[in-house]
Amino acid sequence: MNANEEEWNLLKKVQQADFVVVELTLYTDTHPNDAEAIHQWREAIKEASQVRRQYEARYGPLSLLSVPSKQAIEVGWHWNSTPWPWQR
Amino acid sequence: MWVYEKKLLYPVEVTTCNPKLARYLMEQYGGADGELAAALRYMNQRYTVPDKVIGVLTDISTEEFSHLEMLATMIYKLTKDATPEQLEQAGLGAHFVNHGHSLFYENAGGVPFTSTYIQSKGDPIADLYEDIAAEEKARATYQWLIDISDDPGVNDALRFLRERENIHSLRFRESVEILKEERDRKKIF
Repeated sequence: MNANEEEWNLLKKVQQADFVVVELTLYTDTHPNDAEAIHQWREAIKEASQVRRQYEARYGPLSLLSVPSKQAIEVGWHWNSTPWPWQR
Repeated sequence: MWVYEKKLLYPVEVTTCNPKLARYLMEQYGGADGELAAALRYMNQRYTVPDKVIGVLTDISTEEFSHLEMLATMIYKLTKDATPEQLEQAGLGAHFVNHGHSLFYENAGGVPFTSTYIQSKGDPIADLYEDIAAEEKARATYQWLIDISDDPGVNDALRFLRERENIHSLRFRESVEILKEERDRKKIF
């Protein structure tokens, strides 16, 4: 697996984990008293934040809510660097 | 406010340059039942609906903007390497002379986007029924697009989007029930 593939696979994991949050957020919007769903939603946010930290530590922030890691800056990460999502 | 995330909601992989398919996809980009119409419709309705359904309109509208970005990615990738001749053969000659290789909010027939596609009635039940219809029309459009497309990467993304419209329709139907329950409770007490 080359470096690009590794990055792409880890990004897919972030997308996967974030999607679970999107889906459970909509569900809990209309099921505010479903305790099991609320629990899953909290767990999903925890999981998504862990996967994101893993990705961002190596490849740099996906949004400006995260602090750029030393490693990301060393490899030349910049907010304006390519690829943008439609350029992949 | 919103924060930009440098990633798509769902990965979009395009197999080959195909400007004709890109033109069909514009129906969901800038068409009457497309993602722009959906995002703008819900984002505008949310200010005056009962508190219990503000969350669902805000969150679905936000997701629609991420769908819009997926559509843009597909259209961009399907047309970026096309020659003017290829664009013309695909029915995008008029688009090319006006917009070059750039994207534009228009439908598959080249009709530009207009806010007359959407409504805001100040009546939550009327608004939510429009929203349910919008999701069902978008779902149907995705089905026709899948039927006409033979690009496996594009079809994978389109199937994801079709399923999301189902979920959104369901959440809006539940929202109607929540409002009806609230109304009936007020009548009893």
